[in-house]
Amino acid sequence: MSHLDRKLLRDLRGLKSQALAVALVMACGLAMMITTRSLMLSLESTRDAYYEQHRFAEVFARLKRAPLAVRDQLAAIPGVAAVQTGISMQVTLDVPGLAEPAVGLLNSLPERGTPVLNRPYVRAGRLPAGRTAVSELAVSEAFADVHGLKPGATLAAILNGTKQTFRLSGIVLSPEFVFEAPPGSALPDNRTYGVFWMPYRELATAFQLYGAFNSVSISLAPGASEGEVVAAVDRVLAPYGGRGAYGRDNHPSNRRVDDEIRVLQGLSVAFPLVFLSVAAFMTNAVMSRQIALQREQIAMLKACGFSNRQVGFHYFKFSLVIVVAGVVFGIAAGVFLGRQLVDMYHLFFRFPELGFVLDTRVLVAAVIVSSLAAFVGVAGAVRRAVRLPPAEAMRPEAPASFRPALVERLGGARWFSPSFRMALRNIERRPIRSGLTCLALAMATGILIVPNSFRDGVAYVIDFQWDIVQRQTVTLTLVEPGPARALADFKHLPGVVHAEPFRYVPVEFRSGPVLRRLAVQGLPERGTLSRVIDASTVQISLPARGIVMSAKLAEILRIRPGDEVTVRVLEGREREVRVPIAALAEDFAGMAAYMELGALNRLMLDGDRISGAHVVVAKGRWPEFLDAVKNTPRIAGCVIKDAIREGFRKTTAESIGLLQKMYAMFATIVAFGIIYNSARISLSERARELATLRVLGFSRGEVGAVLVGELVVLTVAALPLGLVLGSGFAKGILAGVNTETVRLPLVLTPSNYAFAILVVATASALSALFAARKLAEINLVSALKALD
Amino acid sequence: MADPLASLPARPGPAVPVREPVFHVRGLARRYGEGEAAVTALAGVDLDLYAGELIVLLGASGSGKSTLLNQLGGLDSPSEGVLEYRGANLAAFGEAELTVFRRDAVGFVFQAYNLIPSLTARENVALITEICRAPMVPEEALALVGLADRMNHFPAQLSGGEQQRVAIARAIAKRPEVLLCDEPTGALDVRTGITVLEAVERINRELGTLAVIITHNAVMADMADRIFTLSDGRIVNVRANTRRAAARELKW
Ligand SMILES: Nc1ncnc2c1ncn2[C@@H]1O[C@H](COP(=O)(O)OP(=O)(O)O)[C@@H](O)[C@H]1O
Ligand SMILES: [Mg+2]
Repeated sequence: MSHLDRKLLRDLRGLKSQALAVALVMACGLAMMITTRSLMLSLESTRDAYYEQHRFAEVFARLKRAPLAVRDQLAAIPGVAAVQTGISMQVTLDVPGLAEPAVGLLNSLPERGTPVLNRPYVRAGRLPAGRTAVSELAVSEAFADVHGLKPGATLAAILNGTKQTFRLSGIVLSPEFVFEAPPGSALPDNRTYGVFWMPYRELATAFQLYGAFNSVSISLAPGASEGEVVAAVDRVLAPYGGRGAYGRDNHPSNRRVDDEIRVLQGLSVAFPLVFLSVAAFMTNAVMSRQIALQREQIAMLKACGFSNRQVGFHYFKFSLVIVVAGVVFGIAAGVFLGRQLVDMYHLFFRFPELGFVLDTRVLVAAVIVSSLAAFVGVAGAVRRAVRLPPAEAMRPEAPASFRPALVERLGGARWFSPSFRMALRNIERRPIRSGLTCLALAMATGILIVPNSFRDGVAYVIDFQWDIVQRQTVTLTLVEPGPARALADFKHLPGVVHAEPFRYVPVEFRSGPVLRRLAVQGLPERGTLSRVIDASTVQISLPARGIVMSAKLAEILRIRPGDEVTVRVLEGREREVRVPIAALAEDFAGMAAYMELGALNRLMLDGDRISGAHVVVAKGRWPEFLDAVKNTPRIAGCVIKDAIREGFRKTTAESIGLLQKMYAMFATIVAFGIIYNSARISLSERARELATLRVLGFSRGEVGAVLVGELVVLTVAALPLGLVLGSGFAKGILAGVNTETVRLPLVLTPSNYAFAILVVATASALSALFAARKLAEINLVSALKALD
Repeated sequence: MADPLASLPARPGPAVPVREPVFHVRGLARRYGEGEAAVTALAGVDLDLYAGELIVLLGASGSGKSTLLNQLGGLDSPSEGVLEYRGANLAAFGEAELTVFRRDAVGFVFQAYNLIPSLTARENVALITEICRAPMVPEEALALVGLADRMNHFPAQLSGGEQQRVAIARAIAKRPEVLLCDEPTGALDVRTGITVLEAVERINRELGTLAVIITHNAVMADMADRIFTLSDGRIVNVRANTRRAAARELKW
């Protein structure tokens, strides 16, 4: 080791707490980058392998009914590699231990062999065998988990009006249902919605569909155009009640996984960017100070024949050491957190196995990015060191020129103590230095705002969605859309206080090249239960003409109120109409479109029909109500609002909560690091001056007050700036993670601000305390004799 | 890059008077700043300095002594005039050539010692010997200044005089051709100052190094071969001693 490196190591020992602070900030940024990138890779690679091994299809279509022979027509479409036909039916379930009825989606398994596409993965037990004494079903893992179902358990389902008991043969997963939510819902509801598999013959027979199919999945040949195949499939299926084929982009489960990856992608850039910028800034502050302290040493090295390159590299190495420490901590923390967080995805996504995959490319990126940050941070300071002519550096720095501070000049002097006045003058004397410290403190405040705005956003979504928008107790769905007078039957159920009808019609929206499939909800003009709300939380009255849709949907379709959108109805008589956009609604989970019920019925041309009703049930008559619902065969589903809210809280909210806690922890570390560092630097800059004051007879307290006063003034100035900065960060980051399935509103609460202020104030107080203690330790004689 | 000193003549033996000057200076001027605020630190200096000489520069504070020394040592470039080191034009040297010149030919001693506080006495010397062509071992250099027994002390554990002697050891360990000392005793008491001067005198005698010492203390002139007095950036007096006094005979 050269003696210059030995000097480096010993100098670093003196700088260790500051270097550590910078390294920790860097490590926080890197850990987040590594965690989120690795989670992305884990999801992506797991998904890709799963899709590949279990042959996830690429084009999907539902239809009313087509004879099996149509399969060959589909297979003959150019670009089609494989076709899997089957039956898929929604039925009402009676699950042991569940008071309300549940909805099951029954999928057929081919009579012989394994499915060509969308092959199930058997987690436990086995696939149902055909033609045994008892009928068998395989159940999806998500539903089985919630209800504690094991292979061998029994459960009843109503198939085409007949209640039948099934034994569960096994628990399975399918690439089609990685994310399992009721059709049209962005939120999972594993309590009342489950996916099942049973042999084709039994399912087809029960619904008089033997020899026919009502669902088809297709995989594409390499190089085939999805759009062309979709169009050709639509043409083939049109005579058989085809409801429009679609690709993976519109596949609900696949879309949800993609969206999650997109969120991670947003997070993997935004946060680390902020943190690494802060780290670069801190490196610069520390190195500038170090170089200023070593002005004479630099001059000596150059006078003795060290070249500019050697001197420059020597100081650059300081930041390299910081980078190495930051990278090591960052990788360790990133891997650790990634391993913890990957389990969280079991809440939403069902993969045969979801392990943590460390993204090794991100490690390389981490090293490059953090070196770059450090390099940017240190480059200016090192350049100044190198430029310093040695003869110049030997001369003592010109003494600082002081003058009364601005407030004093304005006549405010008498209100301040001498120490405080000195603090003010110090701030004013070095406006750039003070400005930078103030900016650092503002950054510390700002980054604390972001994670808590996530938490508050989630809380807001919960309240908004289930208190402002949805005010029903229960949503009841009919097996099939029925006549409007069915509403009276709902009203007569025991305990029902109020009921409002709704109709769901699956449609495809098209505008230019963009397609989206979802259900249009027909609602009363100004309902009191399921309400349509605009961005200023005012209820929208549904107009007699036109459609109201989620702002996000309009954004995706690139249309605005007043524009028209093409609506293709995917139920009953298939038709296409142009409908104007009347207004935009605010919502945060999934996307929706609304029409006034009468207007929707006029569009459908099939009379006054409803799909179900939102009802309010009197608390006391709850069991009686559920009992009645279970015994009404016409009621297919019963969604209890509080159960959905609870489900959201346990899944989405919990996962965001986990990320939020992680980020809040990082932000707190960073805030402390920044503030501590600032205090250290200002202490070091002023040690000599403050020691001089002590020698001149100022007490320890008075001298401490100068330093503390300065920190207090800067902190107070930084806080409002930090709150503004943080609100900006939060806005930017939320916009980056806003997807079709979940969006978080920008909610900035006083308690969020208060927390940021509290952390910064605490960190400042502790740093001030530390500085005051150091000040007491300063040996007056040596402080005056030599710098540092 | 070619070694700018490769073409220079080999070092002379100890105390052999060579009539080729080490430094040849004519009309040397150095101005700082522009326009109204311009300061003329050197206003036309002529001198020739020879190997083995011990030179003392006298003058009031602000007379330009440090500026002249910095010019000789390649820390700064002249505004105009001739500045030659063994026939090579120092004024035309670039940054890289100056670095090599300082590394191999010049030893500096500063009033403020300028030791690296985080390195021991031996390490402070070794820091420099590591980058030189034919240095002494640090122990030898420290022995020359009488500090063989304090080698492993950090600067903070040494007195001012001892620190300054470490600085001299650091400067001579590279066996420089010239030793430039800017008020080496300025911060020291008389007795300590003398030990430091003794070290410089010994190097000059034993290694034949050209030594230039700045002082504003006229007493020190007695130990010199020649004394230059500066005033307002000009040499106003040159005188030679027929007999050099030993440093310990100096009386303050
Ligand atoms: N870098 C500089 N910038 C401006 N003026 C300078 C600089 N260096 C020296 N001077 C001025 O040049 C004059 C001579 O300075 P110096 O050589 O340091 O004097 P001495 O060492 O004899 O006390 C002084 O007036 C000084 O202020
Ligand atoms: Mg001087």
